[in-house]
Amino acid sequence: MLTELGDDAKILAGGQSLLPIMNLRLAEPAHLVDISRVGDLMGADEDTTSVTLGAAITHQAIEDGLVPDPCLGLLTTAAAGIGYRAIRCRGTVGGSLAHADSAAEWPTVLTAIGADVTVRSAQDERTVPLRGFFHGFFTTSLESDELITAVHLPRFAKSTRWALEKTNRKEGEFGESMAVAIVSEGSASIWLGAAKDVPVNLAHVETLLADHPADQVPALGEVRDRVAADLDLSVPELDLAQRHRLQIHAVTVHRALSRALSPEVPA
Amino acid sequence: MSTVTVKVNVNGTPRTIEVESRTSLADLLRDRVRLTGTHLGCEQGVCGSCTVLMDGLPVRSCLTLAASCDGAEVVTVEGLDDADAHRLRQHFSTEGALQCGFCTSGMLVTGYELVRRRTEMDRDQVACALAGNICRCTGYNGIIRAVQKANDDGMAVDDLT
Ligand SMILES: Cc1cc2nc3c(=O)[nH]c(=O)nc-3n(C[C@H](O)[C@H](O)[C@H](O)COP(=O)(O)OP(=O)(O)OC[C@H]3O[C@@H](n4cnc5c(N)ncnc54)[C@H](O)[C@@H]3O)c2cc1C
Ligand code: FES
Ligand code: FES
Repeated sequence: MLTELGDDAKILAGGQSLLPIMNLRLAEPAHLVDISRVGDLMGADEDTTSVTLGAAITHQAIEDGLVPDPCLGLLTTAAAGIGYRAIRCRGTVGGSLAHADSAAEWPTVLTAIGADVTVRSAQDERTVPLRGFFHGFFTTSLESDELITAVHLPRFAKSTRWALEKTNRKEGEFGESMAVAIVSEGSASIWLGAAKDVPVNLAHVETLLADHPADQVPALGEVRDRVAADLDLSVPELDLAQRHRLQIHAVTVHRALSRALSPEVPA
Repeated sequence: MSTVTVKVNVNGTPRTIEVESRTSLADLLRDRVRLTGTHLGCEQGVCGSCTVLMDGLPVRSCLTLAASCDGAEVVTVEGLDDADAHRLRQHFSTEGALQCGFCTSGMLVTGYELVRRRTEMDRDQVACALAGNICRCTGYNGIIRAVQKANDDGMAVDDLT
């Protein structure tokens, strides 16, 4: 259908990103293909190692635990932090990934988890890792006739610890910074959203953690230096506003690390 | 422009309405069903004044196409009519939770779905749950008190139907 309708056609899922743009008349697609009630895209499947979520599953269904969360509560927490309840009741996980806003929850969180997506066109189906799926501001490796049909999530080991930290001025707004830390024996996956056009892997912070005594949180200054390195920033050359933004990211990452590494409370 | 026929139940009444494909649920409710309690502020999903229930869940009627509501049950502020709704209205009145009334329909619909979830909530949790509804008049304290009281009442009487 998308191939037939050509470039003027758009997929409509929850409409929570597309309709604001259409209401501003910034997009005027000639055709909309509503997938929000396609049964095949709304199901969830699980086995012993993974969970598959249909792309049209809403943030609210995940928030309310109507589908399995193989990531020990990380999915439900992430979903509950998206916008407001009325946005979550329509917005979908597939729509959020296709929209590819690096400040949004799913691109950063699901990339940190190491999820894959299944993408289908009339001819073809492929499964691609989210690491590498996001190409730039609102751009992905999706072709115009391709639909995300499902997200595949690995099960976390029981000992896995995670933290999701979002810094914003008001409940429900997009994050000015968003850090995800997933720590399991011997390895850490730490990602930052809202800093660049795509989610950023904080490889230098991961190394810092590996070199650090277990369960000890590195100092904020050390974290800031590593975050700057991961963002390719040279601190002496930054102006005040840029330093302020770096500090917000550093504090957000530091909070996430503190929560993921703290022994007593579940994250 | 193409049109679509939408079968939608609004506040208990089944309706079949032909609209332009681009019509939002908000415009369908206000212009076609003449239910003007649903207000339009921003049409960006931010202000919450257009919030209605679709199959029991709150949605922004400005960000929902009428065509996406085919077969759905929609409840607007005019259709809120049970014990929870009455308690909410009562507390809105006594707590000074409205002045101009522009935000009130969205606050009531959002608050209604919240209290129907029957979960214990402190003031901060209520405030966060109402963060998607903007009020330019009251300063929010009355609204938060009213919703929290309606929630406490709902928890106490347990008359969820
Ligand atoms: C006021 C407000 C606050 C918000 N706050 C947040 C927030 O804090 N955090 C956050 O993460 N998000 C936030 N959002 C965005 C929200 O999460 C959206 O639901 C989400 O980004 C898009 O999902 P959707 O299903 O609504 O997609 P739509 O708006 O329907 O579609 C978005 C884009 O993706 C395409 N598309 C949709 N589904 C698919 C698919 N399965 N395959 C291929 N392409 C597809 C569409 O063609 C379109 O280009 C907010 C939105 C609003 C209006
Ligand atoms: S008019 Fe719909 S949220 Fe403001
Ligand atoms: S009472 Fe006027 S906007 Fe809330």
